[in-house]
Amino acid sequence: MRLLLAEDDPMIGASVARGLRQDGFIVDRVEDGHAAELALRENVHDLLLLDLGLPRRDGLAVLTAMRRRGDARPVLILTARDAVADRVAGLDAGADDYLVKPFELDELAARIRALLRRHAGRAEPVITCGRIELRPAAREVRVAGAPVALSAREYALLEALLARPGAILSRAQLEEKLYGWNDEVESNAVDVHLHGLRRKLGADAIRNVRGVGWMIAPA
Amino acid sequence: MTTAAPTRSIRRELVGWLTLGLVVAIVAAAVATYLRARDEANALFDYQLAQMASSITGMPLTARGPLGATPGADALVVEIWNRDGVEVYRSQPQRRLPQQGPIGFRTVATESGEWRVFATLAGDQVVQVAQPMKVRRELAASMALSTILPLLAVAPFLVVVVWFGIARGMAPLERLAAAVGRRSPRTLEPLPESGLPREVQPLVRALNGLLARLDGALDAQRAFIADAAHELRTPLTAVHLQAQLAERAGSDAERAAALAELRAGLDRATRLVGQLLTLAREEPGVTDRPLAPVDLAAVARSVIADHVALAAARGVDLGLAGPEADSAKAAPVHGDAASLRTLLSNLIDNALRYTPAGGRVDVAVAREGDAVLLSVRDAGPGIPPAEHARVFDRFYRAPGTADVPGSGLGLAIVKSIVERHGAEVTLGPGLGGPAGPGLAVTVRFPAVAAPATP
Repeated sequence: MRLLLAEDDPMIGASVARGLRQDGFIVDRVEDGHAAELALRENVHDLLLLDLGLPRRDGLAVLTAMRRRGDARPVLILTARDAVADRVAGLDAGADDYLVKPFELDELAARIRALLRRHAGRAEPVITCGRIELRPAAREVRVAGAPVALSAREYALLEALLARPGAILSRAQLEEKLYGWNDEVESNAVDVHLHGLRRKLGADAIRNVRGVGWMIAPA
Repeated sequence: MTTAAPTRSIRRELVGWLTLGLVVAIVAAAVATYLRARDEANALFDYQLAQMASSITGMPLTARGPLGATPGADALVVEIWNRDGVEVYRSQPQRRLPQQGPIGFRTVATESGEWRVFATLAGDQVVQVAQPMKVRRELAASMALSTILPLLAVAPFLVVVVWFGIARGMAPLERLAAAVGRRSPRTLEPLPESGLPREVQPLVRALNGLLARLDGALDAQRAFIADAAHELRTPLTAVHLQAQLAERAGSDAERAAALAELRAGLDRATRLVGQLLTLAREEPGVTDRPLAPVDLAAVARSVIADHVALAAARGVDLGLAGPEADSAKAAPVHGDAASLRTLLSNLIDNALRYTPAGGRVDVAVAREGDAVLLSVRDAGPGIPPAEHARVFDRFYRAPGTADVPGSGLGLAIVKSIVERHGAEVTLGPGLGGPAGPGLAVTVRFPAVAAPATP
């Protein structure tokens, strides 16, 4: 899952990004509200982590504009403003959750997973499709009940495909899910990782639709 | 007000003075009435004595019987002698008055008090009519008394009316006291100015002015604390996250990197706390260190010496601008040496922070007419004029400076110190360089007439 982190403090931004990457998220960082808006227009991120006190354009303004555009992606506010009025204003402006600094990285990751799950319309913390089970909290994949070890990229690819079973994702869309801005995109990477996934999950687990892209075979 | 001293009461004092004035006025009225009444009584009774004497001279006096006036203590005494001094008539045999007096009025003292005597010649007889002075005094006294009695009767009533009148007049003061009593540091709204007597309005206006200034100062203080708490939370959040990353680290290399970041975070939090303390100390009205003549050139040389190592580490050329002979001249200003060092330290810190390696930072101290100018010019990116007003605000950091570490307090500290010295600070373009136009911070101090003590 690819996250956009809008945080103006370089130290906090670097630490949060590093922690979330350790939890398997792809994280892109911006340091002001204007850059956050530009990044949101790319429409490649699954969730926005938003600091309210951003320079150039206030976090609440970014959030309000985003919701006015009809952008329904989950937003988690990370801020030092802990007054009830601030939380209410943030949630009323369209935020899905609110975390006050300082916070625990584990709690942040758990809340992000919960938001992504709810956004996908699932209540259980396990994504199931046929014989395949994916548990985001533990980053664990099972096929027919047996645990399967996946690389980080393979996991990200499977997670992206499972997010909306039946939907076809193009190569470009899959690349967006796999790499942040600063990552070097290896050529053929998607093919390599898809190959690996098929080998581990079964050849028929992922179906190729010629000229369109890939999809998880519905159960 | 000490508890030992009795509480003064305006009301009691006013009523006391009023009573005293009333008593003095009544006494004065009584004395004046008495004196005037006595004079009039004297004139009247003297006339009466003369009349009596002349009426008696024409009467046949045959016997020693009472005549006309009723005998009594206050009655007139009439005596008649013949040419030979033989008593012919006496109206009151028991009263004896000196007989050989001059013709006309006189006052004689006897064992029964003073008497007014009138003697006249009637043919070959001497007629003497006398009356005790007591009568006249009593008449005058009774007239005086009748004048002051109504006043005496009215006086207590007047005092009571005034007592309550003053209470009514003082009621606005008591309401005001209650209103002031209700004010607390949290509720400093102005006191109501309407419906107050003219005498109290200046007091209320002055109090409202004080309340407004107090409210402003408290607001500033509250805003400062809120800002400070918020700003402290940022480095602490960073430290918190860095500590979590250090805990999570899987390898020694990861742990070492995380700990290095943690240390950087702690340095930043420590520096912020230090800057906050400096700002709190330099806040106008907090420091009471007296200002004394200080040689700004000496301060500049010393602060530059302190920063040479840091400048060298960053590859920046830091020094005094101008020929050495010029900078050796004393530049006395009226100031606080410790604060001036803090001011220049902050300016040089900023300049070194924003000037890229290979650039230079010039400090200059110069006399210009009545002023001493201290300037620090750097070769950094500069500050756009639109930002000039805001960069002196606490915690404000110009856009695009997020990657340069800083607390956002340096220029706020500079401004506090500048204000305490009655100086002015201006921003302008600096040395210029690849990073931008650079920044020149110029502080203009009023010069001291007397030479600085070395």
